[in-house]
Amino acid sequence: MTAPSHPNLSRRSFLGGSAAAGIAISVSFLRGGAQAGLVEAGPRPGPGWLAGTKPRYRLDALAKVTGAKTFTRDYRARDLPGWPDAQAHAFLIAATKADRRFDGLDLSGLGDGLQPDRLVLHEDLVRDGLSVPPHPDFFGDRFLVPKGETARLLGQPVAILIYYDYPRYAAAKRALRFADDVVRYGASTAFAPPPHYGATRWVRIEGDGPEAEDRFSPFRDAPIFAGFDGDEPAWPAPGTEGAPARGMAAAEAIAAEIAGAGPEALVLRRSYGSQSVDASAMEADNGNVWYDAASGALHLMMATQSPHEVAETAALLVKGSRFPLRQVDLKVGTTVGYGTKDHHLHPLLCILAGLYGEGRPVRLANDRFEQFQNGLKRHSFRMDTTLLIDRASGRFRAMAGRYVCDGGGRPNYSMSVSFVGATAAQSIYYLPKSDFQAVALASRAVEAGSTRGYGTLQTMSATEMLVDEAAALLGRDAIDLRLANVFRTGQRNSQGAVPAGALRNEEILNRAAAHPLWRERQAKKAAYEAQHPGRRYGIGFAQVHKDYGTGAEAALASLEIDPQGRLTLRHVAHEMGPGVTTSQAVMVGEILGAVPDRTEFGVVRWPQMPLETGDQPYTTAQAEEDRLAQNPRWTPRFTSPMSATNSAYYLGHATRAAARFLRDHALWPAARSLWGRGYGGGALASYHTMRPEELRLAEGRLSGAGLPPLSLAAVAAEAHRLGLPVGVTLHSFNRWQWTEAEFDLPGTGRTRLPIDALALRYGAGASPERQALMSTAGWHFIERAAVFYPAVQRNNVGTTYYSPMATLAEIAVDTGSGAVTILSHHSILECGRQIVPELVSGQIQGGLAMGIGHALKEFLPLYEDGPGDGTWNWNRYELPRARDVAVWNQTVEILPPLSDTDPPKGIAEVVMIAVVPALANAVAHAIGHRFHDLPIRPEHIREVLA
Amino acid sequence: MTTSPDPQALSLTVNDRPVGPVPVPRGTSMQEFLHEWLGLTGARMGCGQGICNACTVMIEEEGKLPREIRTCITGAHWFEGRRVRTVEGHARQEADGSLTLSPVQQAFVEAFAFQCGYCTPGFVTAATVLIERLRQRPVERGQVESVVTEALDHHICRCTGYVRYHTAVRDLVLATPGLVTA
Repeated sequence: MTAPSHPNLSRRSFLGGSAAAGIAISVSFLRGGAQAGLVEAGPRPGPGWLAGTKPRYRLDALAKVTGAKTFTRDYRARDLPGWPDAQAHAFLIAATKADRRFDGLDLSGLGDGLQPDRLVLHEDLVRDGLSVPPHPDFFGDRFLVPKGETARLLGQPVAILIYYDYPRYAAAKRALRFADDVVRYGASTAFAPPPHYGATRWVRIEGDGPEAEDRFSPFRDAPIFAGFDGDEPAWPAPGTEGAPARGMAAAEAIAAEIAGAGPEALVLRRSYGSQSVDASAMEADNGNVWYDAASGALHLMMATQSPHEVAETAALLVKGSRFPLRQVDLKVGTTVGYGTKDHHLHPLLCILAGLYGEGRPVRLANDRFEQFQNGLKRHSFRMDTTLLIDRASGRFRAMAGRYVCDGGGRPNYSMSVSFVGATAAQSIYYLPKSDFQAVALASRAVEAGSTRGYGTLQTMSATEMLVDEAAALLGRDAIDLRLANVFRTGQRNSQGAVPAGALRNEEILNRAAAHPLWRERQAKKAAYEAQHPGRRYGIGFAQVHKDYGTGAEAALASLEIDPQGRLTLRHVAHEMGPGVTTSQAVMVGEILGAVPDRTEFGVVRWPQMPLETGDQPYTTAQAEEDRLAQNPRWTPRFTSPMSATNSAYYLGHATRAAARFLRDHALWPAARSLWGRGYGGGALASYHTMRPEELRLAEGRLSGAGLPPLSLAAVAAEAHRLGLPVGVTLHSFNRWQWTEAEFDLPGTGRTRLPIDALALRYGAGASPERQALMSTAGWHFIERAAVFYPAVQRNNVGTTYYSPMATLAEIAVDTGSGAVTILSHHSILECGRQIVPELVSGQIQGGLAMGIGHALKEFLPLYEDGPGDGTWNWNRYELPRARDVAVWNQTVEILPPLSDTDPPKGIAEVVMIAVVPALANAVAHAIGHRFHDLPIRPEHIREVLA
Repeated sequence: MTTSPDPQALSLTVNDRPVGPVPVPRGTSMQEFLHEWLGLTGARMGCGQGICNACTVMIEEEGKLPREIRTCITGAHWFEGRRVRTVEGHARQEADGSLTLSPVQQAFVEAFAFQCGYCTPGFVTAATVLIERLRQRPVERGQVESVVTEALDHHICRCTGYVRYHTAVRDLVLATPGLVTA
């Protein structure tokens, strides 16, 4: 039995920077546009970008539509300034058996002409002092399979082959593809996966009333951790002492109530399966690495969603090896990964290849077979669920679930995927009692990890199928049953926390219930089937709400206005497709009435913010955090990996806070100064009670309260003349709640802001004393006077930010072929206030297509016949095409925000989930059979209709 | 026994510019040639099997409609003497340095048609081929949606769900004189 692990509860973690001390690290991003060049800058707007403050097109549109080099994959050494022109290339040879000893390679099939210029084996790495950086959460324990040992996972590389020229590389790769006699295997062995990744349990029993303390909950008490006894979690014994024992006692009580339920209750037990999926990001993993031994510089060009982590890990990897290292220089292009390029091993393999390039840049770029073989997968889940329902009221009394995911042979994010999935299993329902087990197993499968949906697609789909079946068994309308149990504002989630803001699930359910697809489903079914012999018609509904954020969201933004009124926005965010660069610029426009003239994204150098962090936001004890926070330069985390879900709300918070600061501390006083000019206090004199909230900023002008409009340029010039803060840089941190801090602002006094660090730049008219304050890279870094970090107990919250979506799917099933045709679908989303509606609808449409693939098409065997064997590609892994997604027959309603100050919400994941169970429920409506395993493919339907 | 690659001279026209003769090993795909020899990476590697069509380019032949060709499964030497237009050759660079997008590119940009943009070159190519075909052979207004789907369906996109690509092309077809009858 393994010891109980108390893993980092982070959804996404990050290596500390201290281990790479002494090595200069820089990260830069590619500028988009026809004149692509490497600078610390994001895409620039082209002509006619804006209509007012609304974009006419994406900020990165021109580069992408003209085929300019935007992706990391587009770059060769000759395209990278300062790199040698000659490009070397590498590929991996992988083990396709995980139950045989690796005995070596037979490259004789390449002949003399195609032998690699450099062959790298595990033993080379050992000799040269290169080992996997010790980070238990991500990378496993070895890069390449050692001779004489068994691969940890199918598809684990055994060798890196490097060629100094492209033609020989290409010919060798073609020659070895699918060759099954290159890797020599020895004796049969047991499988050799790593230890299981962890198990947690989330138990809650409500108190005696809405305001009462829960009897037990993760938030009030703690989640429960377990080690393993074989493949089974070894949960603590129930008892009365300590949170784990009390939690297990609570779980036992829930189990007893379910077991003892009488005829007044329906106990519905169902097991569900969700398959392993390859997200199939169009840009396969790739990187290009040039190690310059003379200068000790490691130059990287890498496709990654976690660039800062790649740079840090690169330093850790190479430091201490035989390759002297003084500098890591990482360049990052546009990329796309849906999470699968977050903390993945591939960049480290690229670095290994580069180190052995003998001074040549080496490119390691997966083809699609290789991407299937070593790319991160969406976790397969096995889910055993039980729902206890009072028959008379239809109210859910309790729910229990055991959610077991297969993480494959490297950890990546499996542990956190398991519990994010388990804690989401309640879906949109209030549960008085719940017991959710999250189990992350290791196996010989290709590793699974951070992938769009993050465990919640699997668990919420199961719940939505379960509830649909429960309604049928109770003889109730499926939406009515949902309404009877819907999670309402102020209620607690299964972790015992109250979600942020208004929950609008009930409103969405009511809209869905009124939709003709739902209202008329039985009549339509009868009519359709009468007209289409051999086809069965079905309508399915599902609704979910998905958390967004990680519980440790940090960001930096900087906004400046020059004396001509031109704005410059600099931000840590970088683009992956959803349009973050566009939306951040638009957010500034919403507040200041003018969008930035200049934007830089992916900014990593922030000399004006001399912050310190141990980057342990999830595991630092309260007393220790309180001590650390006394250092006014300390922050729990400097910045977070990019994901599509965190841009609008979390990264946008920094942008909005910066824009509001400029409005309140520069533009407002400067405007009052201008309005107050003249005899007796000027035009303002009689309106001197004008309040800040009466100020209006639109179309490059400031107005309000009957005062004459002022141009932004005039106000900016006045702000500079007065020496007001015309530049602001700030850092934000969210732990399911925003950090606030107090700052002593020159001329203003103590001010509380929703940030934890601040630097200002003053206009030229500032006094010499104030000018002298700008001594930190030309900025005045203001050490905070007080800070209010959310309590570390909020780490147990799991989540508090949700966005909901429902989907109605209309399908026809061909009873002969089993083919499912989606006739139409309709979705209802609540996303707060939309920033760029076109980007929101694009996210919805894309998410729906990806969900359709998960529900009806995409499937990977986990083990020997799966992607680790190197033969998978899109010829046999079927992706949804336009014909499959009802491209002309899909509609969406987006709930209007409750007010114009509603925040934008993260939606990139929720939009793909509801359609999955909706389709399963539609199939049930169509053919009367409920499938419990995904995907539902024609062969499965044919089997039950036979 | 496998030996080192055997080069053969290749000459063709790419985006109106003559290229070659260049020694290129037999067996080299057109996609490899564009990427590794010419530095034109817009025709993207998606599957290498002719499934996703992210790699397509246009073949332009005198007196014929342009055709869409998958470069990942077509050898570079098949293009000997032919005229090829890659996505990099659709927009026009003006004398003042500004860029004039093709109508298809402009439609995609204005429709927010793409997200990550990796598949965009293939969609630009397919839609352009369709527009050129419709100039010669217009279709009835009521057929436009099905014609658009037929023309674009072989292109895989993982971000957008296809809707904005399709509606952008439909709207362009309907708005362009001469492409639609009745």
